[in-house]
Amino acid sequence: MRNPWFWLLVLAGLTACNAEQSTLHVFGAEARAVRQMALLLTIGAAVIVTIMTVLYVRAVRAPEGKLSHDRGMRMVLWMGAIGPTLILTALLIYALPAMRPRATAPGDLVVRVDGEQFWWRVAYDPAGDLSPLLSANEVRIPVGRTVVFELTARDVIHSFWIPGLAGKMDMIPGRTNRLVVQAEKSGRYRGVCAEFCGLSHALMAFDVIAMDATDFDAWLRRSRAASAGAIASRGETLFDAHGCGGCHAIRGTSHDARIGPDLSRFGERRTMGAGIMPPTSANIASFIRAPQDAKPGARMPAFPQISAADAQAIAQYLKGLK
Amino acid sequence: MSLHDQDDPALRAAQEERLRAVWKPPQGLFLRWTDTNNNRVGVWYVLTAFGFMLFAGVLALIMRTQLAVPDNELVSANSFNQLFTLHGSMMMFLFAVPMFEAVSIILLPQLLGARDLPFPRLSAFGYWSFLIGGVFVSGSIFFNAAPDGGWFMYPPLTTRTDLSGLGADIWMLGLSFIEVSSVAAAVELIVGVLKCRPPGMRLNLMPLYAWYILVVAVMILFAFPPLIAGDILFEMERLLDWSFFDANRGGDPLLWQHLFWIFGHPEVYIIFLPSIALFAMLVPTFANRHLLGYPWIVLAAVGTAFLSFGLWVHHMFTTGLPKISLAFFSAASEAVAIPTGVQIFVFIATLWAGRVTWSTPLLYATGSLAIFVIGGLTGVMVAVAPFDWQAHDSYFIVAHLHYVLIGGTLMPLFAGLYYYWPLITGKKLSDRLGRVAFWMLFAGANLTFFPMHLSGLMGMPRRVFTYPAELGLGGLNLLSTAGAYLFAAGVAVICVDLCLSPRRSKAQRNPWNAGTLEWLAHPDDEDWGIRSVPLIESRYPIWDQPDFVRKVDEGRFFLPDAEEGRRETIVTTALDARPLAVIRLGTPSVKPMLTAIALGGVFIFTTYHLYWAALVCGVATLACTLWWLWTGTAEIPEKPCKPVGHGIELPLYLSGPAAPGWWAMFITMMADATAFSGLVFGYFFFWTRHADFPPADMANGPGMMWPMIALIAGLVGWLATIAARNIHARGGVARARVLLACGIVLSIAGAGAGLAGPWMSGLDPQVHSYPAIVWTLAIWTSAHAGVAAIMQSYALARSLAGKMDPHHDADLRNVSVYMHFYALTAIVTYATIGLFPEVA
Amino acid sequence: MTERGKWHERLRVTLWTLIVPPAIWAGHFLMAYLWTAISCAKAGTFATFPTLFVVGTLVALGLISLSGWVAWKQTRRPGDSAPHQDSTDIDRLRFLAKSTLLLAGLSFVGVLFTALPVVFLRNCL
Repeated sequence: MRNPWFWLLVLAGLTACNAEQSTLHVFGAEARAVRQMALLLTIGAAVIVTIMTVLYVRAVRAPEGKLSHDRGMRMVLWMGAIGPTLILTALLIYALPAMRPRATAPGDLVVRVDGEQFWWRVAYDPAGDLSPLLSANEVRIPVGRTVVFELTARDVIHSFWIPGLAGKMDMIPGRTNRLVVQAEKSGRYRGVCAEFCGLSHALMAFDVIAMDATDFDAWLRRSRAASAGAIASRGETLFDAHGCGGCHAIRGTSHDARIGPDLSRFGERRTMGAGIMPPTSANIASFIRAPQDAKPGARMPAFPQISAADAQAIAQYLKGLK
Repeated sequence: MSLHDQDDPALRAAQEERLRAVWKPPQGLFLRWTDTNNNRVGVWYVLTAFGFMLFAGVLALIMRTQLAVPDNELVSANSFNQLFTLHGSMMMFLFAVPMFEAVSIILLPQLLGARDLPFPRLSAFGYWSFLIGGVFVSGSIFFNAAPDGGWFMYPPLTTRTDLSGLGADIWMLGLSFIEVSSVAAAVELIVGVLKCRPPGMRLNLMPLYAWYILVVAVMILFAFPPLIAGDILFEMERLLDWSFFDANRGGDPLLWQHLFWIFGHPEVYIIFLPSIALFAMLVPTFANRHLLGYPWIVLAAVGTAFLSFGLWVHHMFTTGLPKISLAFFSAASEAVAIPTGVQIFVFIATLWAGRVTWSTPLLYATGSLAIFVIGGLTGVMVAVAPFDWQAHDSYFIVAHLHYVLIGGTLMPLFAGLYYYWPLITGKKLSDRLGRVAFWMLFAGANLTFFPMHLSGLMGMPRRVFTYPAELGLGGLNLLSTAGAYLFAAGVAVICVDLCLSPRRSKAQRNPWNAGTLEWLAHPDDEDWGIRSVPLIESRYPIWDQPDFVRKVDEGRFFLPDAEEGRRETIVTTALDARPLAVIRLGTPSVKPMLTAIALGGVFIFTTYHLYWAALVCGVATLACTLWWLWTGTAEIPEKPCKPVGHGIELPLYLSGPAAPGWWAMFITMMADATAFSGLVFGYFFFWTRHADFPPADMANGPGMMWPMIALIAGLVGWLATIAARNIHARGGVARARVLLACGIVLSIAGAGAGLAGPWMSGLDPQVHSYPAIVWTLAIWTSAHAGVAAIMQSYALARSLAGKMDPHHDADLRNVSVYMHFYALTAIVTYATIGLFPEVA
Repeated sequence: MTERGKWHERLRVTLWTLIVPPAIWAGHFLMAYLWTAISCAKAGTFATFPTLFVVGTLVALGLISLSGWVAWKQTRRPGDSAPHQDSTDIDRLRFLAKSTLLLAGLSFVGVLFTALPVVFLRNCL
């Protein structure tokens, strides 16, 4: 590689590699196939750059008339036109079949995700017989099974991207896009919004948890049955009194509004505010009092009238929801 | 006058005195800005575009500073969004495109041995539009009102007035204004290349720069208008709440993406090809031989132009369109690499076959090729859809596009700067500073953008104002930021070099020993362009034609004089450059500037919802335009012909397809028809999106009666105008006037009937996309009917004022061209809104 | 050969004939795009065997080959000696013909590339 910075970058890249949100650190079949493809394409590109460099240096150094007119024209024809045509044809024949989406069967798990400014509304099995399990800012999927994401958006365009799992798919108001994936390795990962969607586009991520299929089934069953919301506490009273239930739903309580993120099982989540910070009591409390400080443009109104102590109490309540 | 007359130095001196007087620039604090000479306007244009480039570069530096470390808080999300939106928009609309136009306005007349381009006042108008629009758009950031929706301005984020402020209007209207000036420049450049070549410069001898510019200008005609159509829909939605992109009311955000990228992808080649054109000029010079494979370059330019219109969906690979649709665009995106490969190998083969003189411009060209090849190869990678699904909207794309644009536009322009600086100023730039700057730029660009490939693959999305430390992207981003500063320092060195230039002494003429016409320019340049318009027999006349420079200088070719005290240039045929006529060029005038100011008022006042002021400006624009045309065009000459030397007499008046004005009208109307087809595309796009279109509750649409009346009025008005043209040409002036008057009435009737359809059937454009698009088509066509009435009135008035007679009927012929397109527009519109609901 | 048989040599080559092959590519490409867009949006599927598409592709390839053949014939018109870069009628003609021939080659490949996806992908997903 003629680029002097290349090796330095490789070094920097390797030492700082993150395992949660990277197309290079894959846990899904789709992402693995693309990584394979990327490797091949990169090697091909490197070979071509090398050849071009050698040719260019020889061209500049060659004395006058070293290349006759006819041989020059043959070089343009073969190396400039026919060579690239053959390479690109081969590439197309290799790449086009890879565009076929994974086949789906009627029983496959469907997860519906709606993008909103600036969070994710998640519903497992939205068209199933049972009522769908609602969630927000966290996606759980079973390993080894085909999962169909149904993606749409309510307000503006977002894009659903779990780099370690598969390529991204846009979420467009008025359209429902499908993304079919299969996870191969369990673990905790991260997805982000990839389409610019406004002020807090950078602060719109979500947790992805790939679970063993049996664990996933158990979790789904448990979560459907659970009604952990009715924990009598000062926090619950405050949550009620300040009208939080006007936007947020908590399963097992009277709060079933669908404006903001569903908070049932909030205590289960690893992050808050759509993947932007750990759900510590302090973070939750300050988010309640001034969401725009953490997340410019967030749609949730600020509640400066709630005292810090009260906000802490609500935070405690939320953390207990599992 | 015979050849030997030019042996007389006294005669030559007298000719030069007359030429100097005719081409004397206007003096005075204000009047000097009314100049229209391509040299001056071109230089203002270049400097302004360069200034915008520096400004947009500073915006990028602020962004890179913000992103240097994770969780940085230097700028807010709001400012950051304005920064990247403005950086992209300015680099595209205020730097890359105008810069190519500017360079072409300077170079093209020189390359073509013309005194000036055919419409110097149009160039000046374009410049003033560009300046006003550019300052309006870029200045908005100082008021925290800059557009913040990304340079692609995807609705609904940008069309919902609760989510985006004035910035979106500033973007739409300010840049629409600049798009108008780009189309104006395209008209100027196409007509310049096709009609203003020197005698003998057939298509096969045209400098390759001119070939590229011809191709690029034609691309502008087909690429910019869809965006203008999109802008219209966009502003209708923002200002009047019509539904085009609102999914709740039958709209679809993807329509904008289609219209934007039909513009957006050709745009990349619009700014890339002119830079490659600079290579095509300087590579032969430094290889000391003819470019090898001239037809291959033409193949590459024309082929790229066509293919570039089949790529737009590769910006939409992740929008969920059917995979097979994506695959067509993936295939075309791969195919476009073929002509690019051809160009690069033409340059390599030329250097190989020739004797290379190493120089600073060639160093820049080499560096930019290296960068461009990397960008091109990552382009091939992202053209593979599955790879793009990962790379799309990540920093990998940021890396790719900057490799392409720095290697394919910016660095070649610096190569051109070092190459052509002596042509413009008569002085060379410093080789030493140039080399220092080059290495800073080269290292800086790679250091900035190479790591981005990795940060993108490591999951960093684009357009984020911050990123969490846990992602481990800090190191790569810090490298990128360091590289950005190094790159900026390189640009600063170039600026220093430019600033030192006035203190340096003049270089010799043709300092690189090049073979093409533009190097006839003398270091102590006169304003007349070329001393005499040469007869061309070779692609590299300075190398190949004996005594060429001396003959040109001594006025031994054509048009060595300005006997009548008029600015003139020779018009030739498009294919073989046979002399056709001498045309009189526009002189310095305040009219282009006033027209630009008035038109700017229309756009700027509309931004602030000051509709009455905008209307006043609109009327002023019309008045200025008519005044400009009335006093400055299709003037009947004082004598039919004049000698241009060598015993050749050429007419002084042209009308119809031989005339530059006719071509200008034709080309403008091509752009107009393309914009219209964007709107029609909108109609059928909505049709594919809805099972019932028109929706059941408005199934009759605008009805059939009014659209058919409008259509018939339009077609009869068109026939009346064509009949008027033919009868007029045969001497029937009075009958032609009557026919024109009938045409005016019919056009006005057509306008009224066109609007009556949706009006009488009570279609409300705010409730659904169907009435909105029907109204838009009806308004578009009626507006064209209104313009038709104005044009017919203009022709009638010219006839009545004695400025048009059967032998001098350019006005009427140009109006006929307009009428053809108007008739076509009417047929398509009324068939679509009146008849299509019946069959669909 | 009779005058009549040499129509391809008498054909007047201009800037417009230069763009015939890429224009055919563009027409074919547009047809392919509109066909899938409309059939997927309106019908939800496209034909199991896309007869129309195959015929369209063959017609496009045929027309491009024809214009390439005409151009090839014209590049071989007798006239000036090499290197064919003078200001003469014949050199201008040869140049346009050569460029047309090259464009025909590129357009041929372009049409083949546009046809390839249909070989591998057959549904609207």
